[in-house]
Amino acid sequence: MLDVSQVYNINFLEEGMLSVIPETIIIIFAFIVLFLTFFEKLSKSNNPYYLSLISIGFSMLYILMLSGRTIDGFYGSIVFNKFSVFLFIGILFSGFLTILMSNNYINNFEVPLPEYYSLILFGVASMMLLVSSNNLIMVFLSIEFMSITAYILTGYLKGNARSTEAALKYFVLGTFASAFLIFGSVFIYAATGHLNLYNIHFFIVNIASKGFVNFDNIKIYLAIGLILFLVGLAFKMSLFPFHAWTPDAYDGAPTPVTNFMATGVKIAAFAIFLRIFSLIYNFNIMNFNNILWLLAILSMSFGNIAALMSSNIKRLLAYSSIAQAGYILVGIIGGGYYGYSGTLFYLLAYVFMTAGAFAVVIIFENFDLMSLDIKKYSGIGYKYPIVAAAMTFFLLSLAGIPVTSGFMGKFYVFSAAIKSRYNLLVLIAFINSAFAAFYYIKIIVQMYMPEKEELIASSNGAQRGGMSGGTNLDKPSGDFGIVNGKINEGLMIVIFICLFFTLLMGIYPQLFINFAHNSISSLWNV
Amino acid sequence: MDFFIKYLLSILIFFPLASVILLLFINKKNEGLLRNLASILSLVEFIFSVYLFVYFKPDTYKFQFVEKLNWISTFGASYFLGIDGVSLFLILLTTLLTFVSLISSYRYIKDHVKEFVILMLILETFMIGTFASLDVLLFYLFWEFMLIPMYFIIGMWGTGRRVYSAVKFVLYTLSGSLIMLFGLIYIFILHYDQTGNFTFNILRLYNTHIPINLQILLFIALFLGFAIKIPVFPFHTWLPDAHTEAPTAGSVILAGVLLKFGVYGFFRFAMPLLPGATLMLAPIVIIIGVIGVLYGALVSIVQKDLKRLVAFSSVSHMGFIMLGLFAMSVISVDGSILQLLNHGITTGALFLFVGMLYERAHTRQIADFGGIAKKAPILTTLFMISVLASIGLPGLNGFVGEFLILIGSFNHYMLLTIIAASGIIFAAVYLLWMFQRVMFQGITNPQIESFQDMDLREIITVLPLILLMFLIGFYPAPFLERIDPTVVHFLGMISRHGYIHNLIKLKMGLSNA
Repeated sequence: MLDVSQVYNINFLEEGMLSVIPETIIIIFAFIVLFLTFFEKLSKSNNPYYLSLISIGFSMLYILMLSGRTIDGFYGSIVFNKFSVFLFIGILFSGFLTILMSNNYINNFEVPLPEYYSLILFGVASMMLLVSSNNLIMVFLSIEFMSITAYILTGYLKGNARSTEAALKYFVLGTFASAFLIFGSVFIYAATGHLNLYNIHFFIVNIASKGFVNFDNIKIYLAIGLILFLVGLAFKMSLFPFHAWTPDAYDGAPTPVTNFMATGVKIAAFAIFLRIFSLIYNFNIMNFNNILWLLAILSMSFGNIAALMSSNIKRLLAYSSIAQAGYILVGIIGGGYYGYSGTLFYLLAYVFMTAGAFAVVIIFENFDLMSLDIKKYSGIGYKYPIVAAAMTFFLLSLAGIPVTSGFMGKFYVFSAAIKSRYNLLVLIAFINSAFAAFYYIKIIVQMYMPEKEELIASSNGAQRGGMSGGTNLDKPSGDFGIVNGKINEGLMIVIFICLFFTLLMGIYPQLFINFAHNSISSLWNV
Repeated sequence: MDFFIKYLLSILIFFPLASVILLLFINKKNEGLLRNLASILSLVEFIFSVYLFVYFKPDTYKFQFVEKLNWISTFGASYFLGIDGVSLFLILLTTLLTFVSLISSYRYIKDHVKEFVILMLILETFMIGTFASLDVLLFYLFWEFMLIPMYFIIGMWGTGRRVYSAVKFVLYTLSGSLIMLFGLIYIFILHYDQTGNFTFNILRLYNTHIPINLQILLFIALFLGFAIKIPVFPFHTWLPDAHTEAPTAGSVILAGVLLKFGVYGFFRFAMPLLPGATLMLAPIVIIIGVIGVLYGALVSIVQKDLKRLVAFSSVSHMGFIMLGLFAMSVISVDGSILQLLNHGITTGALFLFVGMLYERAHTRQIADFGGIAKKAPILTTLFMISVLASIGLPGLNGFVGEFLILIGSFNHYMLLTIIAASGIIFAAVYLLWMFQRVMFQGITNPQIESFQDMDLREIITVLPLILLMFLIGFYPAPFLERIDPTVVHFLGMISRHGYIHNLIKLKMGLSNA
C-alpha cells in the first residue's frame, strides 16, 4: 500500500492529523452541537438531531476517501487501515441508527437535547479512536473516554431512579474494569518494555524464536498482564463472569442508549480485543484459547438461560446480547483469516439486527412508556403488521434462522471454529442457539398468537362461533397500553435500513464477506 | 419457451414469492379475491410443475434442469439447482398439495385470510427450493426457513393447544436441524482439508473420503436432523401434537410434504455422503423403523381423536419407508420412494376428510360421530377409497408401494420384514374400525342429523388425489420408470463403499450377519 506521506509529501504531524480525520469531524460537530445549548431557540428545535446525522455522513465520506490507505499517526499510537475502515462503518452505522431512533424518544423526557446528541457523537468518536488505537495507553484512554460517555448517557434521564441506579452500577463496575485494564498494561509493559502493540508483537516474536535466557520470567509477567487485560476487555464485551453490569445498565438506560451500548460499545470492544489478541495474545505464552473457550460457553449458556427467565424485553435483549457475545467469541477462537473475518461479519450483522429490534421496542415504548413487559406485546402483530413483521424478522435473525444475517454470521464463525477443530465448542454453541430460539419465539408468540385469556373480547362484530381456531385472534382492545399513535419516520427509516441489511447479509453476503476479508488482511500487515 | 424450460426450477421456486408480492397489495378485507387469486396462482404453479414432468428425460439418473450461479464464492456455495427422478415427483406433490390445501381452507380459515394465503405461498417457495437445491448451504437455507411459515400456520390458525404445539414443532425440528448443520459443516471442512477447496456442491462432497469412525458420528448427527423431521420412532412426539392442532391445510402440508424432507434428506445427503456408516448402521435404522411401524399402528388403534389417529398412522407408514430405504435393494428403495408419494397423497386425503368432518360436526372425537354414511354418501365413498388406499388394498396406490418395500427387503431382512408386514394388518384394524365407528352405526350426535354431503369445491379438492390413487394403483410404470434410474445410481454410489463394509464385517467376525 502506498504511504500517504510519500504521495502528498506531507510531514509527520500532518499525517497524524490525517489518521484521525473521521474522528475529528465527529468531535468538531459534537462541540458545535454542544454549543447550541447557548442559543435557546436553536436548541429547542430539531437542529442538534440533524447536525449529528450530518456529522456522521461527513465522517463516512472521509472514511470512504481514505479507505484503502494505511496511515500511522502520532508515533504509531493510531493506525488507520482497512481493519479500522470496516469497524468505523459499523460504529458509524450504530451511531447513525441510535441518533435516528433517539429523536422521538428523548423528546418525551424533560432533559436537555443538545447535550444528549453531543454525548452520542463523543461516544462514536471515542469508539472510533479505540478501534484505531495501537498503543496500550491509547487503548486505555479511549476505553475510558467511551465508558464515561456511556455512564453519562445511561443516567441521562434525570430523576428516573432506574436510570440513575443503572448509571451508578455501570460506573462502579466499569471503573473496576478500567483498573484491571491499566494494571494489565503495566504488567505487559514491565515484561516487554513497549507500549506500542506492534513493538510488543515483535518483541514477543523475537524472544519466542531466539529463546532468551530469562524467558520464563518474562513469560509469567506477560501472562499475568494479558490475563488482567483480558478481564478488563471482557467487561466491555460483557462476557459471562464479567457481565454483571449488563442487564441493569441496559434495562435502566434510555432505550436508544441501550441500543448504542449493545451495538457500538460491543463492536468497539470486540474490535480492539481482536486486534490485541491477534497481535500479542496468539503466542505460546499460555493457551488463551482455552480461557476464551470457557468464557464463550459460559457466556452463551448463561445469557440464554437468563434471557429465558426474563419477561422484560430490554432485559431479555440484554441477556441475549451476552449470549451473542459468546457466539462472536467463537469466531475469535476459531481464528485465522476465516474466523476473524467471520467475527467482523457477525459484528456488522449484529449491529443491524439489534438496532432493528431496539427500534421496534422504542416504538412501543413511545406509545406507552411502561410497555416493556413482553405480555404487553400481545396481539400487536395484527395491529401494526409492518412493525411486527420487522420485529419478527430481527428476532429470527438473532435466533439464527436462515435468510437472515444472523444465520450467515453464525454459520461463518461456527464453521471457522470447526475448521480449527473446536468441535465440542461448536456443538455446545449449536445446542445453545436451538435453546435460544425458544425465548425469541416467545416474543413472536405474544405478538401473533395471544392466548384467549389475555385478550379482552373486542367488539369485532363477527363472533363466528367457537368453531375454527382462528376465532380467538380477535384484536386486543386499547387497554393494553398501546394507543394508536403515529410512528415517527426516523424510527421507520431505522427499521427499513436494518431490514434491508439484515436481509441482504442473509441472502447475498458475498459483498460483506469480501469487505471483511479485505479488512482482516490488514490486521497482520504489521 | 426455451427460456422457460431452462429456468423452470427457478421459476417454480420464485413464482409463489412473486405471487406473495402481488397479494400484498390486495386489501385485507377483500377475502374472496385473496382466496381465489391465491388458489389460481397455486394452480398456475402446479401447471408449471407439470412441465417438469413432461420435459423430464426418464432414462437417466443425471440431474436435469440444472442451473448454476455463483452465490457465496468464499464458501464455495452456489445457487445450484437440479432434479432427478426422486425430487421430480416430490416437487409435483408439493405443488399439487399446496393447491389442494389452499382450496380446502375456504371454509376453515376465516380470520386473517391474507396472512394465511401469503404464508402458504411462502411455504411453497421454500419447500420447492429444498427439493430442488443441490448445494448444501442453499438446501439448508430453504430447509430451515420452512419452519417459520409452518410455525405461524399452526400457531395462528390451530385449535386447542396450538401455541404449545407450534413451539414444540419448531424447537424439535430446529434442534435436530442445527445438529445436522454441524454434521454438514464438518463434512464441508473435511472436504476442504482433503482438496483445499471450499465447496458446498453436493456432487463434489460425495467424493469426500471420511474415516469410518468419523462417518458413524457424522451419521448420527445427520440422522438426528432428518429423523426428527420424518419422524422416526423415539423422536416422533412433536408430530401428533402438531398434526392435531394444525388447521386442515397445515396438516395436509405437514403430512404430505414436510415429513418427506426427512426421507429425502437421507436419500440425498446422509446415505451417499456417509456410505460406510450407512451400510454399518442400516440394520439398526431398520429396527428403529420397524419399531415405528408397530408402535405407530398400535397407538393408532387406541386413539380417540381422528386427527391423532391419522397422525400416528403416519409414524407407522414412515417406518415402512425407512425399512425400504435402508434395506437398500433396488426394489425396496423404489417402493420406498413411491410410498413417499403415496403417503403424501393418501394421508393428505385422509386429513382433508377429517377436516371436512370437523367443519361440519365441530368435533374430532370418534365417539361423537356415527351414522354419517346415510347422510353423506359421496363423502363416505371417497373417504372409503382413501382409507383403503392407506391400508394397501390392491388396485390402489398404497398396495404398490408397500408390496415393493416388502418384497425388496425380504431377502436381506426376513424376520424384520415379516414383523413389519403385520403393520399392514394393524392398519386395517385401526382404519377400518375407525371408519366403521365414524361412518356407520346409529346416529348418536344430534349435530349429525343436519350433516351435509360434500359440495363441489370439496369434491374438486379431493378428486385429484383420488384419481392419483387409482392411477398409481393400476399403472405405476410412469412413476417407477422415472424413479428407477436414480435409485440404481444411488445404490451404486453406496455399494462402491461396500467392500470396506465387508472388510469390517470380516474383522468383527460378522461375515454371516
